[in-house]
Formats: sequence, C-alpha cells, structure tokens
Amino acid sequence: MLLETQEISKEFGKLRAVSRVSLGISKGDIHAIIGPNGAGKSTYFNLITGYHRATSGRVLFKGKEITGLPAYRRCRLGITRSFQITSIYPKLTVYESVLMALLSQRKVTLTFFSPAKKFFREEVWGILEDVGLADQASTLGDSISHGDKKRLELAVTLGTEPELLLLDEPTCGMSLEETEVIMGLIKKLSVERGLTILFTEHDMSVVFGIARRISVLHQGALIADGSPEEVRASEEVQKVYLGGST
Amino acid sequence: MEDHHIEGKDSWIKRGWWLILLIIASFLAPTVLSEFYLSVLCEALVMSLMALSFNFLFGYMGQLSFGQAAFYGLGGYTVAMLLTKAHFNFWLSIVAAVLVAALVGLVVGIFCVRLRGIYFAILTLAFGQLIFTIVFKWHNFTGGDDGIQGVFPPELLKSPIAYYYFILLVFLVSAFILWKIIHSPFGHTVVAMRENSERTEFLGIHIAKYQLIAFVIAAAFCGLAGAIWVPFYRSVAPSYLTWIKSGEPVMAAILGGPPIFLGPILGMFVMTFFHAWVLGFTVYWPVVMGALILAIIFFLPGGILGFAQEKVRQRKERNHQLQKK
Repeated sequence: MLLETQEISKEFGKLRAVSRVSLGISKGDIHAIIGPNGAGKSTYFNLITGYHRATSGRVLFKGKEITGLPAYRRCRLGITRSFQITSIYPKLTVYESVLMALLSQRKVTLTFFSPAKKFFREEVWGILEDVGLADQASTLGDSISHGDKKRLELAVTLGTEPELLLLDEPTCGMSLEETEVIMGLIKKLSVERGLTILFTEHDMSVVFGIARRISVLHQGALIADGSPEEVRASEEVQKVYLGGST
Repeated sequence: MEDHHIEGKDSWIKRGWWLILLIIASFLAPTVLSEFYLSVLCEALVMSLMALSFNFLFGYMGQLSFGQAAFYGLGGYTVAMLLTKAHFNFWLSIVAAVLVAALVGLVVGIFCVRLRGIYFAILTLAFGQLIFTIVFKWHNFTGGDDGIQGVFPPELLKSPIAYYYFILLVFLVSAFILWKIIHSPFGHTVVAMRENSERTEFLGIHIAKYQLIAFVIAAAFCGLAGAIWVPFYRSVAPSYLTWIKSGEPVMAAILGGPPIFLGPILGMFVMTFFHAWVLGFTVYWPVVMGALILAIIFFLPGGILGFAQEKVRQRKERNHQLQKK
C-alpha cells in the first residue's frame, strides 16, 4: 500500500463530513473516489493532503504516519494535489510556474544569488512537452484557455515529482474534447511516470473509462470499494448513487 | 531542446545601455550639481535603498509593511550611539547597525508573518510605533526627543562629495544584491507566494519561513539605509522611526510601480527632488505632493513605470497579432 487511511474521520462542528473511512491505495493504481454531492470526497482529499487535520484516525504514507503533518511536509514526501477550482499562478508564465515546482522539489529555494531561470531547464521543458504546453511556455497563466489551465496545474504538480497525485475533479468545467484529452494525459502519465493517481470526479463516463479501482462515499462513509465492475454491480451503490437521480 | 530560449542573451547591452548611462551620470553628478542638490541626491539614494527593501516585501512578496521606518531608525541610532558614545569604528558601526536591524526584524517578523493583508500592515505599524515610543521615551539612553547630534564620518568621508560616493557605492551594491535575490530561486518562491500562497504551500514550501527570511532581509537593508544616512546628516532624531517615515517608501513604490524593480527608486527620486524644489517657494509642500500623487494614481494606474510597461506590453501584443495575421 502506498497510502492508507485507517478509520479516518473529520467533523466540522456537528457535521461529520468523513466518517471512519479505511482505505488503501496501491502503488501504480488509478483510483477514483466517487459519491453524490456532499458525500465527503473533497474533505477526504483534504485529509490526505493536509489541508484539513483529521478529527480521529490515521493516515499512513509508505507505512509512515503522516496524520499530523502540515501540507508542505506531505508534499515533500511525494503527495501532490490539484484543486477543484484550478489553482495556478496568474501572473507567472507557464514556464515559471512549472519551474517553481521543481525549485521546491529539488530543494534549491534557499539559493539567493544564482538566477532561478538557469535551473532545471531540461526538466521543465520535458514536463511542458509531456502535457503539451511547450508552445505556450512564455504565456502568462491567466492568459491561457480554461482547459490549458487545468493542464498547467497538472504540469505544476508533476514538477514536484510526486509518487501520489491527487486530482480533485480534474475535468471540472471542461468541454467534452478537453475532458478526453486530459484523461488520456492522466492515463499516459500514470504509465510513463509510474504515478499513483487518486481522483474525484462527477462524470461517470470518465470514472469508468480510466479508473482501475473505485471507492464510493456516501454521507461521509465508505459504502463500496472495488473494481469498476464490482462497483457497478453493487446494489447499495445503485440505490444511493447511480440510480439516485431517477 | 536547444531551440527553446526564453530571452536572447545578445540583447543584454541593447536593453541595459540606459542603465549604464545612468550609473555613469551618477558618478559624474558631483561635477555638475550644487552642494544643495548633491545632498538632495544623497537623500534620494538613501531613501531609494529603503524603498527597494520595502518593495521586496510589497511589490514582490505582496505584503505591505507599514513599519519599515523602525528598522531605518534603528540603523541610524545604532550608528549614532556607537560613534558618539562608544567611539566605535565607523565601518564596524555600520555592520552593527545592519545586524541590529536584522535581529529586531527577526523578532518582529516572527509575530507578523503569520498574518496577511491589512492585518500584516497594522501589526507592522504597531511594532514600528512601539519601537518609536521606546526610542522617544528612553531619554537617558537615546536622548529622547533631542536625538543625537555630532555624528561624524571618518576623515576620509568628511567632504560631502566623498560621502556621496560612499552612499552611491553602498546603494549600487545593495541594489545589485537585492536584484540578484529577487531573480534567484528564493525570489522566485517569494513571488510565487504572492501569486498563490496556497498553491505554493502545496508545492512543499513552508510559507511562514520564507516570509520571515524576506522580512529579515528587508529589515537589514532598511537598517543599512538609516546607518549610512545619519553620519551624512550628522544627527539622528526619533522622527526617523515614525509611521510618517514608514509611509514614504509606500508612496514611492506606488508612484513608481511596485512590481517593477526600479519603480520605487524612480518614485523616491520624484518625491525627494519634487520636495526639494517645491520647498523653494512654498512651505505647504504636502498639498503639492498630495496633488502630484493623486494625479499619478488617476492618470497613470500602476505607477509611472508600471503604466509605461503596460503600454509597451500592449503595443508588443498588437504587433504580435498583426504579424500572425
């Protein structure tokens, strides 16, 4: 197991957003977390990345407990995330944004006198080419299209050379074409870079298209976990979720 | 990947010629300027150094410190007290002043960097006023509202022209160091924190630590500015530490353009020389100054250089689009 949560819970006042979720993510997997709105997907994500602290339970990464670590330390261990609302650097160029991630990952951010632009050229261009943003390297973050912003965020997270990549609604607000491109990209990255990917998603065709394992949350609790076929066949899932809309 | 270039190297001299001219002109300035305007130029350079260090926090890190005068004043007081009371070596006094400012910056910074935006501004203002009050009230130690007079530089720097060159050199070296820091990985991180601190934290950066380091750097350079000014002026007074003094670099940065390295320098030069010139015919210079600032904020949003840069960028973009067609 690359990542494991043990009986993890999060309460906001009286609201129990995540309730005793125990789940393991295996190395190299593409693992989806699904569930209706308010099921606790984002909160669960936030517990893993350190955005929120768990009320109880433990989070283990590569067998080591990380439950109380702040976000920046978890990132250094190899856990990086993207945000549901794309989080980029509006006034940095595409190149500079990816560079930032590499500077941090390779621990040179306390270098004071050599120019930042001399660092990691090959690595930055490599990532930009992988995600298809090389031709927009010198464009500002807020001047590229919505789909490209998602792609940029993905490129930035790759810059931290993560082992576990958490994507919160990676295709949120994207057109059908853009969605296909980004999902293809995620699949490719998982294979080429050996990344483990944990993602939440609304769009069921995306989830069943690329996930190798799916976990279903409902009202904060884990109600199903297994291969796409198993989850699709689960009666409980159909009751609360898949059939819930009809 | 050889064909990937962000900017050409050959254009360095093409782009930097005006800067070289400016530096040559500043070395020749004592031959043309009257003693009065030479001292105005000295003040402009010293205050520009303060504005540059302030703007490292404001323009680059995105945090408005309203207490920088405390560090400026502490630098000045350290030099004044070491020279007049302890008869300390001049050069070592300057070094000590920088260290004192940096140390106090570290203590103040530990409290301030947890906050952002207006709260950061208010807390730095409060600390600034606190330090001012201590200096102002502690008559036995600091001379209270009398300040300290008779602070003389060594023989070598006694003449205004010699001291001008000293100030110029300190300014150029400091500006170069700050420029290097801003363009270093550390500076890149500071800018990234301004642009999106959450994203930066999730890239593995301990935000508070980096803010603290930046705060100490800014305090040290502010202290240096105060330290080299006092022996030129031969005295120091508590007014150096007031919030009004802290407001000067704020205004200079806004006038010149905060996101641009030379912005605060230009702003400070405009303010200082305008001040000196206006004083020649009216004592109501704040009224005239206020009008100037209003005019710039209304007609040149983004500051003088910020506005110019935006215009140049727009023109470039237009040309670029025309070429594409």
